[in-house]
Amino acid sequence: MYEVRFHGRGGQGAVMAAQALADAAFIEGNYAVAFPFFGAERRGAPVLAFARVDKGKIYEKTQVYEPDYVVVLDDKLPLMVDVTKGLKDTGMAIINTSLKPEEVELGRAVKTATVDATGVALEVLGTPITNSAILGAFAKATGVVSIESIKKGIMDIFGARIGERLAEKNARAAEVAYERTSVGICKGTLIYPEEKKWLPTAQEFPTGGALGLEVKTDAGLIGLGSFVENKTGSWRTFMPVADNSKCVNCKLCWFYCPEGAIEMLMNLPESEIPAGTGTDPKGNPKGIKIDYDYCKGCGICANECPTKAITMER
Amino acid sequence: MPERRLVSGNYAAAYGALRANVKFIAAFPITPQTFIVEHISEFVNDGIMKAEFMRVESEHSAISATVSAEATGVRSFTATASQGLALMHEILAIPAPLRLPIVMPVVNRTVAAPIGIWAEYNDVMPQRDLGWMMMFVEDNQEVFDMIIQGYRIAEDKRVLLPFMPNLDAFILSHTYEPVEFADQDDIDDFLPEYKAEHAHLWPDDPMAIGVFSPPEYIQEYRYQTEQAMEASKKVIKEVNDEFAKEFGRDYHGLVEEFMTDDAEAIMITLGTVTSTARKVVMDMRKEGKKVGLVKLRFLRPFPKEELRKIAEKVDAIGVYDRSISYSAGGPAFVEVRNALYGMEKPVIGYLAGLGGRDVMYSDIKLMFEKTLEAAGKGKADKEVVWVGTRGVNP
Amino acid sequence: MSSTKITIHDLPKENLFTGGHTACPGCGAAILVRNAMKVFGKNTVIYTPANCLLVFGGTYPNISWKVPYHHVAFENTAVCSAGIKRALKASGKDDALVVGFAGDGGTADIGMQALSGAAERNEDILYIMYDNEAYMNTGIQRSGSTPYGAWTTTTPAGKVIKGKERFKKDVPQIMIAHNVPYVATASIAYPTDLLTKLEKAKNMKGFRYLQVYSTCPTGWRVPPEKTVEVAKKAVETGMWTLYEYENGKMTINVKPKLDENGNLAVPVRDYLKMQGRFRHMTDAQIETLQKWVNEKWKRDLALEKALQ
Repeated sequence: MYEVRFHGRGGQGAVMAAQALADAAFIEGNYAVAFPFFGAERRGAPVLAFARVDKGKIYEKTQVYEPDYVVVLDDKLPLMVDVTKGLKDTGMAIINTSLKPEEVELGRAVKTATVDATGVALEVLGTPITNSAILGAFAKATGVVSIESIKKGIMDIFGARIGERLAEKNARAAEVAYERTSVGICKGTLIYPEEKKWLPTAQEFPTGGALGLEVKTDAGLIGLGSFVENKTGSWRTFMPVADNSKCVNCKLCWFYCPEGAIEMLMNLPESEIPAGTGTDPKGNPKGIKIDYDYCKGCGICANECPTKAITMER
Repeated sequence: MPERRLVSGNYAAAYGALRANVKFIAAFPITPQTFIVEHISEFVNDGIMKAEFMRVESEHSAISATVSAEATGVRSFTATASQGLALMHEILAIPAPLRLPIVMPVVNRTVAAPIGIWAEYNDVMPQRDLGWMMMFVEDNQEVFDMIIQGYRIAEDKRVLLPFMPNLDAFILSHTYEPVEFADQDDIDDFLPEYKAEHAHLWPDDPMAIGVFSPPEYIQEYRYQTEQAMEASKKVIKEVNDEFAKEFGRDYHGLVEEFMTDDAEAIMITLGTVTSTARKVVMDMRKEGKKVGLVKLRFLRPFPKEELRKIAEKVDAIGVYDRSISYSAGGPAFVEVRNALYGMEKPVIGYLAGLGGRDVMYSDIKLMFEKTLEAAGKGKADKEVVWVGTRGVNP
Repeated sequence: MSSTKITIHDLPKENLFTGGHTACPGCGAAILVRNAMKVFGKNTVIYTPANCLLVFGGTYPNISWKVPYHHVAFENTAVCSAGIKRALKASGKDDALVVGFAGDGGTADIGMQALSGAAERNEDILYIMYDNEAYMNTGIQRSGSTPYGAWTTTTPAGKVIKGKERFKKDVPQIMIAHNVPYVATASIAYPTDLLTKLEKAKNMKGFRYLQVYSTCPTGWRVPPEKTVEVAKKAVETGMWTLYEYENGKMTINVKPKLDENGNLAVPVRDYLKMQGRFRHMTDAQIETLQKWVNEKWKRDLALEKALQ
């Protein structure tokens, strides 16, 4: 049996990739299962999906903790989560990146396959959706499933969801990625901060689970107002950049930011206002400060800015 | 001086809420609980009950509002029956894990199909797994007393679980009996004001109650709720004893034994059938038959230890049920037999009175005789016996 | 009608609904909730049913709300909020504002009974429906509030039937029929109108209902940066009318551009083409929807005239 863990973000199609892989293995006469991480998912948030393949019936109904392969759909994910966690020493990481395997930095030096799946997707599909391309790389790097089966798997799974025409393009993306995949050993240079999670015992658990305001624990804040611990800036693909000289302090971006990640300079203490900041007719400092810890890069601020003072950059 | 009046079971429940200084009620009328809602309406409109009363548009809303009011931090009350309880089912799962000590009397009535309005426990039995303390009363005095005791038990910091006294449709709800209402001052001493320290929705001390929770936390909620339910056994006995001392009525806590000391066969009963069964036991004893009775007051928490101790001294046990879990027998029978696992004693389940059919003196006597017969033989001919069903031999 | 206009510039700095929440990028509901909390302030208790906001606003043990927060179930926002308010009253904390924040599914569909009951009893709560026109939390299924023709996962663009076959349920008019003190529609794309209505609703007594158009870029197949632009187009085309009903009087607050014949000037097609959920619609379907919008606009105008 081999087990695969897919790392993606909500909306990137990690679950469909796991399903297409399982379908490909199934076509080859194996027993195969694909399943999502058992949790709530929102677009942009890191998510997991899993696949298991064996010759006979698979009885395990647990999540995968020690995968043979990890597949990473988004090149920024390894900076946030240790994708090599639990990966078997004999295992391999398949990563969407334009880097060579030897240039990739992960938590451990492991056998690594890389492909610029984003580039392939943009070229073949016209959108940066990498869930099909990465499967081509998987086939090439692991050899446990043929590219023909992967293409059939994509036709089955993607076809049912997005139609035959788009599925064919995705199969093509897998084929192109297959040809561009290289394998080597990555650098094990990334160090991840120790994961801190508040996990009280049944005895420590608050009565009825009720939580007060900003309760301090060894694992950070919990309770009302404590979601600030969740730095959603890591979801971002595009980044707003403000040219404060063009700002007219209309506050529209400040109002429209769904995250509250924009603060008006006029609301900040003087010490935090950059030198050379202009003033509006009322004498208030002109401009905004973006808190990239929380900005998800939605782009509403740039779209709504009446003076085009904000631009989205990659 | 305590006041004694001839009142219905429904009145006793409503007056219990009044005397317990309930601050919030949300309720919806349903036969045979309707008079509880009507009496409370009279108390509130006459100004003798100082409480917020929401005359809501459904039982689902009644329990929803009651849960939220209790979460806000005030002593809250509702009441229902039958279809209404079934409609509440979803929300009945909420207060126990959130540790909200609501008291809600249920007037047990059959759940359709077919539609009927008389006594059956197929409304309450499907609610057993939701973390409510559930007990069955025998007369109207016990209705009133268990509303008062109910809040005292439920609000105890070791417990903090919702409390559901069950009374039989019509047999109690619409039956007038003398009930003694203790003086308000004495009740106030026994049942002080509710202080919501662990859960409240106050802007000056904000809390989050009922947050979306991943698997990392829910199992601890469950364990905590289970621990509270186990802890309630001790609290129920303590409160019973204190109440007995204060007001002179001893209900013996989780179970009450009646003439069990040298009994060969006992019946375990729930609700009003207990009362008629007492008479049967007394009469059979006169005939020299060694029978006894156990009033199973609490189904949750389940008095496993007490029942095992009683079972040790008898040769056969009969369990009366007013509802059926199809193909398994009556729920009380299933639970009793489970509690007695490993004890080589015949346990027989008797089904009678379904849909509100009257459980006759002769029906109960037959249950005792069959159990006595099993005691003599050391085994039961049948596990589950239907009593009073046309075309079916018991 | 008395109204002090509240603009963006009147809002305080502090967020009582913090960042770190897990709404999709560009979420319209998040824009609404964050700013509404600035209007409401700390003396507020929040109830949410099972909806996106429940999940993205708090996943145990981390929560974005900085005021008392409660959840019980999906279909009882109005009655649970009312239960809280009555209990606060019973404990001498009657000055606190209680707000129920529900989606369109939790309001127009499964929550309608409790909503109607609470409105009829004139419970002293503020009920806000953030309208994103489908069950988004469960993954984009049709609700009573989904517009005609829209794709959802339960109204797919099939070979025989394409999108939703019925029209959007008019919940604000249902609420007006309850004769409550205040009913208003608003949109995240009209901040002054929205904030003024929130402030007014906050300060009134009795049952107040606000339905706020809140773009869901994920469910509508709209790029996240277009969230506000789409919402503006909804008002310009007449797909969403901004009005309020206060003590028996109805006022349309923002009038869309009209042609010389008094008909809506901006075709509904301009709104539809911005969104993937309408991509499959045939000309005949678009015409049907245009006709419905024209009639709805005339009805809104007639109602405004009648309710003076």
